[in-house]
Amino acid sequence: MDDKSSSETRGNPIRCRAAVSRKPGEPLVIEEVMVAPPMAHEVRIRIICTSLCHSDITFWKLKDFPGIFPRILGHEAIGVVESVGEDVDEVSEGDTVIPTFMPDCGDCVDCRSKKSNLCSKLPFKVSPWMPRHETSRFTDLKGEVLYHFLFVSSFSEYTVVDVAHVTKIDPSIAPNRACLLSCGVSTGVGAAWRTANVEKGSTVVIFGLGSIGLAVAEGARLCGATKIIGVDLNPDKFENGKKFGVTDFVNSGNCGDKSVSQVINEMTDGGADYCFECVGMASLVHEAYACCRKGWGKTIVLGVDKPGSKLSLSSFEVLHSGKSLMGSLFGGLKAKSDIPILLKKYLDKELQLDEFVTHEVRFDDINKAFDLLIEGNCLRCVIWMDKQVSS
Amino acid sequence: MESNNKSETAGKVLRCKAAISRIPGEPLVIEDIEVDPPQAWEIRIKIICTSLCHTDITFWKMKAGPAAVFPRIFGHEAVGVVESVGDHVEEFTVGDTVLPVFLPNCKECSDCKSQKSNICSIFENNFSPEMPRDGTSRFKDMNGEILHHFLWVSSFTEYTVVDVTHAVKITPEIPVDKACLLGCGVSTGIGAAWKVAEVEEGSMVAIFGLGPVGLAVAEGARQRGALKIIAVDLNPEKFDIGKKFGVTDFVNPETCGEKSVSEVIKELTNGGADYCFECIGLASLMQEAFLSSRKGWGKTVILGVEMHGAQVTLNPYEFLRGRSVIGSLFGGIKPKSDIPVFAKKYLDNELRLDEFISHELSFQDINKAFELHQEGKSLRCIIWMDR
Repeated sequence: MDDKSSSETRGNPIRCRAAVSRKPGEPLVIEEVMVAPPMAHEVRIRIICTSLCHSDITFWKLKDFPGIFPRILGHEAIGVVESVGEDVDEVSEGDTVIPTFMPDCGDCVDCRSKKSNLCSKLPFKVSPWMPRHETSRFTDLKGEVLYHFLFVSSFSEYTVVDVAHVTKIDPSIAPNRACLLSCGVSTGVGAAWRTANVEKGSTVVIFGLGSIGLAVAEGARLCGATKIIGVDLNPDKFENGKKFGVTDFVNSGNCGDKSVSQVINEMTDGGADYCFECVGMASLVHEAYACCRKGWGKTIVLGVDKPGSKLSLSSFEVLHSGKSLMGSLFGGLKAKSDIPILLKKYLDKELQLDEFVTHEVRFDDINKAFDLLIEGNCLRCVIWMDKQVSS
Repeated sequence: MESNNKSETAGKVLRCKAAISRIPGEPLVIEDIEVDPPQAWEIRIKIICTSLCHTDITFWKMKAGPAAVFPRIFGHEAVGVVESVGDHVEEFTVGDTVLPVFLPNCKECSDCKSQKSNICSIFENNFSPEMPRDGTSRFKDMNGEILHHFLWVSSFTEYTVVDVTHAVKITPEIPVDKACLLGCGVSTGIGAAWKVAEVEEGSMVAIFGLGPVGLAVAEGARQRGALKIIAVDLNPEKFDIGKKFGVTDFVNPETCGEKSVSEVIKELTNGGADYCFECIGLASLMQEAFLSSRKGWGKTVILGVEMHGAQVTLNPYEFLRGRSVIGSLFGGIKPKSDIPVFAKKYLDNELRLDEFISHELSFQDINKAFELHQEGKSLRCIIWMDR
């Protein structure tokens, strides 16, 4: 189903194609679905392109709640507003927008504070529904409900998103670059820039050189960090990492008798100013904490470990070291104000985005994106909704 | 010995009285001891008064393990006058009023030079019970047996020797019994509120443990205009004392019913406190304090000394939600620069110290201070050496 004129479809359900995840861990099925018109405070979007993020894979595989099926996954995307529901003033039909899993209502105590990006009005949670009315806008052709994912559900030609989850952007930016700021790259860059507030001349360590870790490196580089140490099990990631500002590499599988933190403490003469955990393993958070510098070192938790995992710190070390342990979602960014700032930095050639896109596929081949990410040789695979893949 | 004249006692071994702890957990014994003259970069101090801190008690009770070191001269919160100085000492002269402190401040390492840290590197990882530079003791009993130092201060004695990095010069204008309090507990609490947490006007603060450190946090938070200061303690009597220091709400964990302390605090603060302070030293309370902090920006400050090697177990999900944890020794205070500032604030009536003193004793009754502390009946008990 190609581009429809909004006047035809406004107010009516749209029949279009979506990649539906019907069973945990099994290939998505491209089928026709019905997308209801947006309710109050909602926006219906025609997706231009979307990219696969590790969190999609996590929930795709999850058999028990909050895994839920059948579901339309995808949460990193860019699109054009097809129609808006009542009480929507912020965006209009034809606007280019980035949907985000993080809400930004602009109005609650958190949204108005510089210190937080965790909107209280529409708190983030892993929900199968739309945030305000807790219902779904998707049904399959049998009339069965299809569940939403992270309030975005971008593996569909059309989706409906709450206006708090929509950021209007400059349409001139290449969509297969802008979509990256919808999740992963923003999380990493934001973590360095906003959460940690990396200072010029700092030493930074990054555990895990996937897209998030590389985005942290990029953010740290932008902030003026002079030593950026990447830690990963895969030595191929170093060459890649250099493009994003990584200056030194530690292969965590190759430290011999020493722990990774010991190696890093030696390399940095006592520990780094900032350590980022970008994998999602409690044991790595412990390593990160162990190699951040006493006195002022900050350890930042970004990776999401499985439910029930615990961090265990020695209370003696906590007391005596003066180190801080912190974390954030979405890199501490406020979507509506910070995404445009990052896009401008991209246009001004300060922020790199191009290197994150390693593969591009057509919507029909969406399952290839899953294979590529799982195999581990992919950073971001962009999925184009149009029949033509833009080259 | 009241002499300011350098020639009389300088360079000589001094004989004086000290309260020696010979057997863990048993009363201190006041005996004559010998105190060596200060070596290079050391000063010898005549103690005027000293106070008992929970950390003295913790180590006094230790029966086994590397931290159990006896016979020992305890005490680390005190004020005195410089009796003589060793070679290379330029910062202090005979007659100066000084506070010996457990935390070094060399002023030369990158931590001392940075605004962001108070963890001086000079004697890093040195947990020796003796003098920091050469690892030997300056104390002997009358049988010639070595007496161990404590926290590089050892103030339960008429004379002690400390390294110059462990001494702070202060104005003689401040009454000595108030100055003495700035050597540990009170400064820790005030510093934690002012420097580590940076409590702002309108903040909501939760304090776990209303001993002198917790009360000092309350005082520091009140000074900064905190809107709500919630204290958590098992002893309801502490509320009355707490109110004097700015505590606005009191939570007794035993009367929370089915709710956890963190649930009660979240209700009182409409989602969680901006700053939570743990001032006891129990991993379980550190965890509870963390859970009581607000998403988005809630900061938990750990001040209590956990002595059982227990791990603090925290949920990573809470960190992703914007919470943070930081520990701090001595409330982030840089002794040589910050203690004189606190002394001045006291003199300018911007900082209250008098209310921390609940008892006063003479040196010979020092064991009474331990009893009062164990019974939970004292805040700070000032022990006067000359009375």
